[in-house]
Amino acid sequence: MNNRKSARVLTMALMAALAVPLTYGVLQLPTPGQADAPAHSNVSAKYIEAGAELAGSENLVTGVLLNFRALDTFGEVLVIFTAWLAVAAVAGGAREAGQDSIPPSPIVDYVIRLLGPFIAIFAVFVIVNGHVLPGGGFQGGVVLGAMLIMLSLVLGTGVVEGVFSDRVWIWLRAAGVLVFAMVALLGLPAAGFLFGLGQAPALRQALMMALELAIGVGGGAVLAGLYFSIAGTHRS
Amino acid sequence: MSPTDVLDLVLLALLLTCAIGIARLKDLAAAAILFSAYSFILCLVWAHRGAPDVAMTEAAVGAGITTVLFLTVISRVGRREK
Repeated sequence: MNNRKSARVLTMALMAALAVPLTYGVLQLPTPGQADAPAHSNVSAKYIEAGAELAGSENLVTGVLLNFRALDTFGEVLVIFTAWLAVAAVAGGAREAGQDSIPPSPIVDYVIRLLGPFIAIFAVFVIVNGHVLPGGGFQGGVVLGAMLIMLSLVLGTGVVEGVFSDRVWIWLRAAGVLVFAMVALLGLPAAGFLFGLGQAPALRQALMMALELAIGVGGGAVLAGLYFSIAGTHRS
Repeated sequence: MSPTDVLDLVLLALLLTCAIGIARLKDLAAAAILFSAYSFILCLVWAHRGAPDVAMTEAAVGAGITTVLFLTVISRVGRREK
């Protein structure tokens, strides 16, 4: 009992010791929107001025994510794919045959069946309009993944997962990683550096669209795959 | 203080309340639901701060998918924290 109490005091002391420098650091941050803050005084002026032209995307956020910082995004795409691989390796083998989740109430069932198509259209809309509107491949992809999971809750995992064979699902999940790697390598001959898009505007837009679609499809399939691995029942 | 600052403060206070609640709850399913509420509030903060794309991701992933994943795992491993 005494031991536990001292552990508690130690935890409190450590947290207080951590809170002081963190609070100090946050107080040092420049006011949001301050024009001469370091975040705004280096490259961002250039991005805002010429970003739309350089990156082939009117939406600057998309331009930064898919072009100026494409390597970072490539890393993120790899991370979620690896996360699915790990979950599938750990949980995929432990599926029990014949046992699916408890059927939801009729209200949930009806609402999900009603909303499903609209959510699917919204996901595609967000993916293909990523270069002009907020959102883009990943945002659309997570909406797509959420829709697949919702449908799995109502119809059972087997039905949704059974739409494609296991082989097709793996290619869909790997789509983000593969397309990113291809576009990155294409940049070498086209522009001399990874993720260079070349000069032709049509080519740039096509490559950006390929990246958006790949993250959308890959992200959605990976997120749905996480759910299938954890909740799914094995198809015989 | 402008009204939008007040809104920010209210949302942040709610976030803090949710976070403390999540840490203190022993019922994992309740904690997962509260975590979903936390994500929705955070989604409002992002939207209010002018980041609609982050808000969209937060709503779909934070409030939706992770909650489903948490609840699915909880249904397999047991609901009470030991």
